[in-house]
Amino acid sequence: MTKRTRALSGASQDAYFRRLFRSHSSLTPDERDKIVQLLRREIAQLRLRRQQREGDAEVSKEAAPAKPAQIVETPPASPADVQPAPTAPRTRPVATPFDPFSINVVVLLRTGGRERLLGALESIDSADNLRLLAREQRLSVGADLTSPPELRAAIVQAAERRVANRIAAAS
Amino acid sequence: MARFLAVSNRKGGVGKSTIAVMLANATAAWSGKRVLLADLDTQCNASLMLVGGEAWERASRAGHTVADYFYDRFEKVAEDESAYVLNNVGDVAHARTAPGRVSLLPGSQRLEDIQGELLLKHSKKDLHADAVAVQVRTRMKNMLKHFGMDFDVVILDCPPGLSFAALAALALADHVLVPFRPDFVSQFAMDRAAMLIERVETAEQLAGIPISERRYSCLPNYLKGDGHERLLIEQLALDHPVLNTRLPMLDSIARAFDWDETRKTMQEKYADALPHLRSLHDEIFRVPELLAKSA
Repeated sequence: MTKRTRALSGASQDAYFRRLFRSHSSLTPDERDKIVQLLRREIAQLRLRRQQREGDAEVSKEAAPAKPAQIVETPPASPADVQPAPTAPRTRPVATPFDPFSINVVVLLRTGGRERLLGALESIDSADNLRLLAREQRLSVGADLTSPPELRAAIVQAAERRVANRIAAAS
Repeated sequence: MARFLAVSNRKGGVGKSTIAVMLANATAAWSGKRVLLADLDTQCNASLMLVGGEAWERASRAGHTVADYFYDRFEKVAEDESAYVLNNVGDVAHARTAPGRVSLLPGSQRLEDIQGELLLKHSKKDLHADAVAVQVRTRMKNMLKHFGMDFDVVILDCPPGLSFAALAALALADHVLVPFRPDFVSQFAMDRAAMLIERVETAEQLAGIPISERRYSCLPNYLKGDGHERLLIEQLALDHPVLNTRLPMLDSIARAFDWDETRKTMQEKYADALPHLRSLHDEIFRVPELLAKSA
């Protein structure tokens, strides 16, 4: 039996709001970030109805990696939340918000090397998600980069700099 | 002879004193040990948490603090170690009953001054400065070791930075607990702390010591539970032994700073932090260096 609501918190909640604002408003990126930060302080957990999200193609059109870290599946809390059973088979997969912590970039670089890290980053198709991953993992990538291959290369370089800095500081 | 556990990190604000006091209470209450907390931090927070301001001031006025102990011993003033120790301290009821109890070697704001003074006194002997520093540190270490005769566990609450007292504590400790906040700079602090504890000069030399054989454990503290913290802990665990215990940011831990004369149970004192403290206590006393004699 499928669960009809999905709880989001932390980075997953932020990612959801960012996509929502990008799709439905003319806010600038800075304004979006400010609102997202405000919402994060105010809202501990967000519960979404799956049915509503499936219909909202603009908000959830991008699929994500298999194991987002902070998504908690929850059953409906009260009868009022229960939606009617679907009468037709689902045709579209349920989109999952992108988890920017699904790949530990620095750990993967150190344990698997550059090629393995690049391989893992290949699983992220969207430039927006790559940029979100870089920002959440504090990896500096150029603001002018737009294509996924450029962003992946920049993420690897930033991780290499991070490791080199730490080694230098310890010497 | 007691086992010596240092709680140390060169970085300040990582929760060293809070954790030292929590562990002292837990070890006395749950393991029935005679625990001495030696407060080597000039902020004296652990002392204030265990006896409150008035009793600490009385000890300070009476010349019964860690600074006085070092000074008197350097000057060969003959007074037994026990004169500097306050027994049955803390506001946890379980920790005040025999055989388990918590005692305190009170901290002093004058400890840094006294260390400088002792260095100057020994400098008159035409020794090289480094040799004098080593001599002072070694004497401090030996003086702290004397307390091992009367206790099962001695917890050394170290100051941030690298004072003589901190270095003496690290040299004496059977094991070092290094609390840290999982942020970017903590990695640098941890690398340096590890080299100091393991007495190596470079990161390469440190990497040559298997993680399972290190003399220290890292304790993630003040956790909010976000993904970035998890990443940093995973990164740190590539190079350092990290405990499975995680201490979250909890009001109950923040409130445990407050000392009052009302005796409490561990449950009343630490509330929802209790399972985390239990986990820390159980995990740290499984460490082989601490297990040997405190079991």
